[in-house]
Amino acid sequence: MSVALKSWRANEGPKHLITMVWIAANVFLFWKTFMVYFSEAQYYYLHKMLGLGLCISRASASVLNFNCSLVLLPMCRSLLTFLRGSQRVTGRRVRRLLDKSKTFHVACGVTICIFSVVHVSAHLVNMVSFSVRYSEDFPGLNVAQYRGQVTHTDTHMDIFFPGVTGVLLVLVLFLMFTASSYCIRVSSYEIFWYTHNLFIVFYVILMVHVAGGALKYQSNVETHPPGCVQNNLSSWTNHRAAGEKGTESSGAPQTVCQEEARFQPHFPQTWLWVSAPLCLYCAERFYRFIRSSAAPVTIVSVISHPCSVVELRMLKSGFKPHPGQYILLNCPSVSSFENHPFTLTTVSPFVDDWRQYKLKRLYFVWVCRDLQSFYWFADLLCGLHERLWRDNRPDYLNVQLYLSNTQGLQSISEERYRFLSSRLRIGRPKWKLIFQEIGRANQLKRVGVFCCGPKGISKALHTLCNSNPHTETAFEYNKESFS
Amino acid sequence: MGKIEWAMWANEQSLAAGLIYATGGIVGVAGQFRGWQFAAFGIAAGVFVCLLEYPRSKRRKGTSVERTGQYCFTVCVKAFGPLTRNYYVRAFLHAALCVPGGFMLATVLGCVCLGIASLIYLSAAIHGEHWEPILPRTEQPKSVGNSIKEPPQNPPPRPPPELRRKKVDKLETAVYDNPMSVTINE
Repeated sequence: MSVALKSWRANEGPKHLITMVWIAANVFLFWKTFMVYFSEAQYYYLHKMLGLGLCISRASASVLNFNCSLVLLPMCRSLLTFLRGSQRVTGRRVRRLLDKSKTFHVACGVTICIFSVVHVSAHLVNMVSFSVRYSEDFPGLNVAQYRGQVTHTDTHMDIFFPGVTGVLLVLVLFLMFTASSYCIRVSSYEIFWYTHNLFIVFYVILMVHVAGGALKYQSNVETHPPGCVQNNLSSWTNHRAAGEKGTESSGAPQTVCQEEARFQPHFPQTWLWVSAPLCLYCAERFYRFIRSSAAPVTIVSVISHPCSVVELRMLKSGFKPHPGQYILLNCPSVSSFENHPFTLTTVSPFVDDWRQYKLKRLYFVWVCRDLQSFYWFADLLCGLHERLWRDNRPDYLNVQLYLSNTQGLQSISEERYRFLSSRLRIGRPKWKLIFQEIGRANQLKRVGVFCCGPKGISKALHTLCNSNPHTETAFEYNKESFS
Repeated sequence: MGKIEWAMWANEQSLAAGLIYATGGIVGVAGQFRGWQFAAFGIAAGVFVCLLEYPRSKRRKGTSVERTGQYCFTVCVKAFGPLTRNYYVRAFLHAALCVPGGFMLATVLGCVCLGIASLIYLSAAIHGEHWEPILPRTEQPKSVGNSIKEPPQNPPPRPPPELRRKKVDKLETAVYDNPMSVTINE
């Protein structure tokens, strides 16, 4: 099956581009921070003491900073909805990218977990290094209280402050991560919701975690160039420093230190990274809360449909819905803190003028397991058909109904639904044939495919959109996403 | 929302805790911490917990999603019968396994995470849950349109035999005689 480049570029291109940019940013941050701690002068002594553990722990910390700030942004739903609907961002590509925001959030979350493991492991190694290479020459640099603190005594109790906050952070991350898998979200959503709202605890502890100041840089590099000869230094250190200086610049005179090395902890960079997105997200949650409690929702009617389906008609003052929108519904008598998305099925007033849209033809394929399900929208579909017939646009709407349950003889017998009964087919649709037919009838045009359904159908349609043999027709794939 | 299935959450937690325990153990052994024997135990305990927790239990209501390739693990875990079926046993086992991890810095995290998982399993056991293996269903696939292939049970309706018999005096044209009138005029 040939991959239709035009469709593939429209469907997958922007998503892959953003992924590449994000990965490149992470790699750049990791590498840049690694090199700073590996070779810069102000970390010379610290690097000598800790080795590779220092570089890896700091590099993973900067990747963590980046992702902890990014992970909040896709969850600012009101802001994204505003961007998506605004006139400035009308491009289809940007809108479809914004639909993928939940996937991006998950990617950042997984990266945070992976790099937390790297960061914790590197710091464990650092603890050993602090103890083994306890420095009598530069006492300001030490974190261990004496040489051999970690290896020779069972001292898990003397964990210093960043260690305690680090353990708490990993615990909160553990609770959040283990409750966010697909099967937990599907079976017990409230576990996911309540544990995920521990994020605020995570961020508060994170702000405190970086304030410990265990790792220090040398603040007086000009007056005390690293590796210079000191008067009261042990001869072993002087020989080693001399040896290194010798290999770098043979024959040059060794510099004598003008003063003692001074160390101080650096400013916590995390506060710079994380503050703005955190404030933005808190403002977003506050805005959502205000907006939802500003005006009450009036339930106009409750209609019961076959197959245990309930239709709710609601009114909310100050809220004007547009076609295609979804709302987040909160029902306090079921659960006070949970909001779940539901797409709006009817929006009033009904759209009158077809000419204002660039849509030329609409193919509606509906697959149900139970015949009674078609009655939910039977009146709407028949009414639409009659209206189009009166407006002399009979070819605008093509309806195909499929009944996937093939047991027994089933048909829609009501006379007023004859439009539907003649379009009812028994069995699952053959998507490839449908795509071929649509492609043949709409050459050189752009076809938007909108899928609302289970993952199996979604995957099949996505594959067909990217690999249809009619390369002149571009099939753009969209699926219902509550991101 | 219905009832929460605590065991599912405990299962995810204990799988992650096993991995954390094993990773901490590896770092502890590699870094030659004092008490590296606890770290070595941590690796073994972590791997054991991962193997035990990999097969998901069948849900009480709804579709159960298997983990990739979990069938062989399901068979092994099922073989232990009530030991693995009962969640009180699992809660106690995880609590016992996590205690040695608390004696060493590198495995402290694994210890705490496994301890939390053990508490959730206790909650699951109190709620009366137990582990059910997910076994592949052996049902015959139903072919489409079975009712079409069934032969009719009864013959089509026919008039009684005396009307069916052709008249003897007009044998040559008898073929055109119908037992019942087929046009309005006749």
